[in-house]
Amino acid sequence: MLARALLRRVFLPRYNRSLSQSPRLLQVQEAPKLLSVWIDDKMVQVEPGTTVLQACAVAGVEIPRYCYHERLSVAGNCRMCLVEVEKSAKPIASCAMPVMEGMKVHPHSDISKRAREGVMEFLLVNHPLDCPICDQGGECDLQDQSMAFGSDRSRFVDNAFGGKRAVEDKEVGPLIKTIMTRCIHCTRCIRFAGEIAGVQDLGTTGRGGDMQVGTYVEKMFKSELSGNVIDLCPVGALTAKPYAFTYRSWELRRTESIDVLDGVGSNIVVNTRGEHVMRILPRLNESVNEEWISDKTRFAFDGLFAQRLTVPLARDATGQLRSCSWEDVLSRVSGKLVSIQNPANEVVGVAGALADCESMVCLKDLFNKLGSESLYSETPVHIGSCGNDLRSGYILRAGISALEEADLILLVGTNPRYEATLINARIRKGYIHNECEIAVIGPYMDLSYQHEHLGDDPAVFSGMIRGTHPFGKKFSRAAKPVIIVGEGVLARDDGAYINNQIYMLSRLSPVHGSDWKIVNYLHTTASQVGSMDIGYNTADLPDLSSTRLLYLLSADSVDVTRDQLPTDCLVVYQGHHGDKGAHIADVILPGAAYTEKEATYVNTEGRAQVTQAAVKPPGEARDDWSIIRALSEYAGHTLAYDNIDELRERMAEISPTLVNIDTKQDSCFHSLCVELLYRTSPKHKPYQTPISVKLNSLADFYMTDPISRASKTMAQCVQAVKQADKN
Amino acid sequence: MFRISSNLYKACIYRHTPIRYFSAQQPSRAHKYMYVTSHPDYIPMDWKSTMDRNAQTLLLTELITGLMVVIGSMFKEPVTINYPFEKGPLSPRFRGEHALRRYPNGEERCIACKLCEAICPAQAITIEAEEREDGSRRTTRYDIDMTKCIYCGFCQEACPVDAIVEGPNFEYSTETHEELLYNKEKLLNNGDRWEKEIAANIDADFLYR
Amino acid sequence: MFSWWRTMQESGGLWNSIKIIYRRSDLRVGTLVGEDANGNKYYENLRYQFGRHRFVDYKLKEFDASQVPPEWHGWLHYMTDNPPTKVPPVPRKFHAEHQANWTGTTKDYVPYSTTRPRIQSWIPPTNKQ
Repeated sequence: MLARALLRRVFLPRYNRSLSQSPRLLQVQEAPKLLSVWIDDKMVQVEPGTTVLQACAVAGVEIPRYCYHERLSVAGNCRMCLVEVEKSAKPIASCAMPVMEGMKVHPHSDISKRAREGVMEFLLVNHPLDCPICDQGGECDLQDQSMAFGSDRSRFVDNAFGGKRAVEDKEVGPLIKTIMTRCIHCTRCIRFAGEIAGVQDLGTTGRGGDMQVGTYVEKMFKSELSGNVIDLCPVGALTAKPYAFTYRSWELRRTESIDVLDGVGSNIVVNTRGEHVMRILPRLNESVNEEWISDKTRFAFDGLFAQRLTVPLARDATGQLRSCSWEDVLSRVSGKLVSIQNPANEVVGVAGALADCESMVCLKDLFNKLGSESLYSETPVHIGSCGNDLRSGYILRAGISALEEADLILLVGTNPRYEATLINARIRKGYIHNECEIAVIGPYMDLSYQHEHLGDDPAVFSGMIRGTHPFGKKFSRAAKPVIIVGEGVLARDDGAYINNQIYMLSRLSPVHGSDWKIVNYLHTTASQVGSMDIGYNTADLPDLSSTRLLYLLSADSVDVTRDQLPTDCLVVYQGHHGDKGAHIADVILPGAAYTEKEATYVNTEGRAQVTQAAVKPPGEARDDWSIIRALSEYAGHTLAYDNIDELRERMAEISPTLVNIDTKQDSCFHSLCVELLYRTSPKHKPYQTPISVKLNSLADFYMTDPISRASKTMAQCVQAVKQADKN
Repeated sequence: MFRISSNLYKACIYRHTPIRYFSAQQPSRAHKYMYVTSHPDYIPMDWKSTMDRNAQTLLLTELITGLMVVIGSMFKEPVTINYPFEKGPLSPRFRGEHALRRYPNGEERCIACKLCEAICPAQAITIEAEEREDGSRRTTRYDIDMTKCIYCGFCQEACPVDAIVEGPNFEYSTETHEELLYNKEKLLNNGDRWEKEIAANIDADFLYR
Repeated sequence: MFSWWRTMQESGGLWNSIKIIYRRSDLRVGTLVGEDANGNKYYENLRYQFGRHRFVDYKLKEFDASQVPPEWHGWLHYMTDNPPTKVPPVPRKFHAEHQANWTGTTKDYVPYSTTRPRIQSWIPPTNKQ
C-alpha cells in the first residue's frame, strides 16, 4: 500500500504535489475550527486551509487571477492575485497562501492595485495586440482584467526597435490551434493535461522571457479531453482549430442542452448564430460532467452540416431513392402498416443510439396499437433474468459523482476512457485525490491511470468467488468497491452468466446490501437506458425473414442487410443522417438532430435530461415524435397526444423517471433484482472467448455514431491519431 | 399716421404679447392688459389713420414692395447649384457609400474582427468569416443592407484596420431595393474604384486621427 | 456680375448658347482645368460666386452625376483644391475603372450570396441496376 502511494507520488507531475496542501485534505487533518480573517475590515470566518483568494471570495471580493483554477492544483505563477496583507513585507500571492488566524487582507489597497497594475503591464508587454483577429476576443480574461485592473496608459514604446516577444506556434493536432505568442504561462493547460486528462504531454521549456509551453517534441496532444484546454486558457493561446475565426463570442445565442454522443449525457451549452451551431461548450453539472466535455462532444457537431436528410425520400419503381412530399411517404408507410395482416410478427422496430425517449414512446405506442411488441433496442443487453424489468439491474446505480468516493473499482469489459470519457475522468479524480485502486478485466488498455490488469478470461470470476484469486481478497477488504460492467460483457451471448458471477463477487464485499451500490452498468449510447425504461426488448434481433415492415428509428449500427429481409419488406428509416440505416431504407423520414429538438435522453446512471432546440431542423425535417404521431394518424391509429406536454404525461405513465428531469432517482427493488439473478442463474459455463471492450483506442473513440461519422473534424482526428501512432 | 400704423403693425406681430394700453390724457395706474388682436375695436378710427389705411390698400403699396424684392432678385446671380453640372461642397469626412479597402499590395484589409457588425446601431452589417487557405482570418460574407444603414459612420470608427469606410460617393440611388443589398464583392469593387479619393481624404484628415 | 454678352461669345455664339442653355439650363464659361478619361471637362471660374465656381461639362448626351470619376469628384465637391492634373493620385495596381450608376439598365448590380450553404443534404446513392 505504502509502496503504491509512494510510486504514485513519484509518477505524478510536479504540480500534483501541491495537491496535498489543497484545502480539502488539510481540512480533514486538522480540527474543524474556523479562522477569522479580515478582508477590507470585514471579518469572515473560514475553515483552516482556505486560501486567501477563497476567503476573499467568501467576503464577496473577487481577486483577479490567471493561473488559479478551482479544479486544478495551485501553481501560483501568474502573480495576478497579489494582495497586501498586514505584517507582510511584500504582497502575497493569494491563491497559494493559506489563511492564518487574524490575518488582515487589503485587496483594494494601493499596494494591491499597484501590484496588479505592474503584473498586467508585464503581461501586456509580452502579449501581442492582435485582439481583432483573436478568437478569444470578447471572452478573454486578459482583455477583461486589463480593463478592470490594468493601468490606464501604456509605457511600452519599444514597438519599432525591440518589438514584442514572439514565440513559434506549436502543432498539437487537428483540434487545438496554438498561437503561443499570446501565451501568458499560466500553465493551466499543463496542469489539466497532467491531472485531469492524465496525459503528461504538455510542459514548459526555458525560463523567464524564454519560457515556452509546448509538448517538448512536436507531437499530437493525444487526449480525448484535449478540447477542455481551450476553455481553460485564459487568453487566446489555445483556441479551437476546426471552427477558428468563424464566430465572435458576443454574437452567439446560448442554449443549454445535453450531449447525446455517448451514454454520459454531458451537460452542454450549444452556441448558435442564426440557423447554425457554431460551437459547443460544457455546462457545469457537478454530478455528471463537472465542467469538462469530451472532444467528440465538443467538436463532432460539424457532422450536423454534412450528409443530412433534409427531404423525405422514397424508392421509386426503379429502386432509386427520390425526394417526395411528406404526404407521399406517410401514406406509403401507413398503407403498408395497415395492409399487414399479422403485425405481431411482421412489424419490427429498432431504436438506435440517438433515438430520444419521446419518439421511442410514440413508436412503441403505435406498434402496440397495431398489435406488435417487436421493438428492439439497437444494442442487445444480456443481463439475465431481470432484464429491463428492474431499473436497478441495468443502470450505473452508484451515480457518476459517487465514483470518486470509491476505493476499489473493477472495470469489466469496458474502457471508460473512450466509452464514457467523463466517467473515466471521475475515476481518475478518485485515483488522484482518493487513492482509489482500479482493476480491469478485459483487453490491455491505456486508461490514463495505473491499474491492475486481471486478464480477459471470463473464468476469472469463479476464482475470485472461490477465494483463489488474490483480487477476491482485496475486493472483500475494500470499504467502497465498485464494479462497472460495460458493453463488452452485456453484448456477449453469455452476458447473463458473467453478470451472475459479478453479483456473486459483489456478495463478498462487506458493504453488500448496504446503501453503497457495488454493481454498475455502463452503457455507451444515449438511448440505451431510455429504451430499456420504456420497455424495448434488450434481446438480439429476431429472425427477420418474415418481416414486412422494418422501422429503423435512428438505428445506424444495427446489423441488418437487405438479404436478411424478404423482398416485399418495407424498410423505413427515420433519422437525420444518411448513414448505414438510410442506405438500406425504402422510405426515409427526415428527423431532427439533438440540437434541433426538445427531447429527453436518459444517461447511463438513469438521469433523465432534456435537450433544447437551439436551431431549427434543416429543410423539411421535423421533430421525431411528431413524425410518428403524423404516421399514426395516417394509419388510422391516432396516438392520444397532440403536443409534447401531453406526450410527457404519457411518458410519466410509462415511467416517472422519464419526466423527472435532471434528478438521479435512487433505484429501488434492487434486492429483488439480486434475488431474481440468484434464483435463475444460467447453468452453462461461459464461453472461452476473451472479454473485449467496445472502444479501445482513441481512433475508435472519435467516430461512433452518424453525427461523428459525418464530421470532418472527427475524420481529421482519426487520421492524426493514426499518423501519430505510426510515428 | 405712420407711427400709428407701425405701432399697430408691431402689435400685430407680437399679437400674443399683452400690451399695456392707456390713454395719454388719463394716466392711470389701474391699467388693464388685453390681447390686441382679440380687440379689433382698438384700431384707431380717427380720420388721419383711416385715410392712411385706405390709401395703402388702394395703392397696393405692400404688393408693389414685395414685387420690387422679386424684381431685384431677378438681376442677382442665382445661388442655386446647377446640379449635376455644379456640385455642392463636401467634407473629406463625408459619410457616403461604403467601401472595403485594400492594402497597397492589393490584400484586402478586412480581418473579420466583426467590430463594425457589433457596433452598427441599425444592424445593417452581416459578416461571416472563416480561415482562408493561407491561414489568415478573412470574411466569406460581408453584407451591408444600405437601406438599413443610417450612415452614422460608427463602422469606420470601429474598424481597427481602416477596412470599411464610408466613401465620398452619394450618387448610388437605385430603382430597386435589391440593388442596395451590397455584398462583399460589391463593397470591394467600390473600394477599388474610389480608393484614389478615399486615400486622399484620409490623408487630408491625418492631423485628427 | 459677369458680362452675359461675353459669356455668349465665349460659348460659341447665340445658337450654341441656346443649345447649351437647353442642355444645362445655364450658360457659363471658365478656364478648363482638365479632362477625365471619359472626356468630361472640368472648368473653374473664380469670378463666379464661391461654391459655384467649379463645374463640369459632361461628355455624354445622357449625362449623370455619377459619371464624375473619383479623382475629379473631390475637386468638384470642393473637398480639395488639388485637381488630379496637379496632384495625381498614388497609383495602385488594384485601382479599378470608374463605373457610373447603372441602376435601371441591364448592367445594374444584382446581389448574390458570397458563401456556400452550410448544410449539405445527403445524396442517395444512384441505383446500379
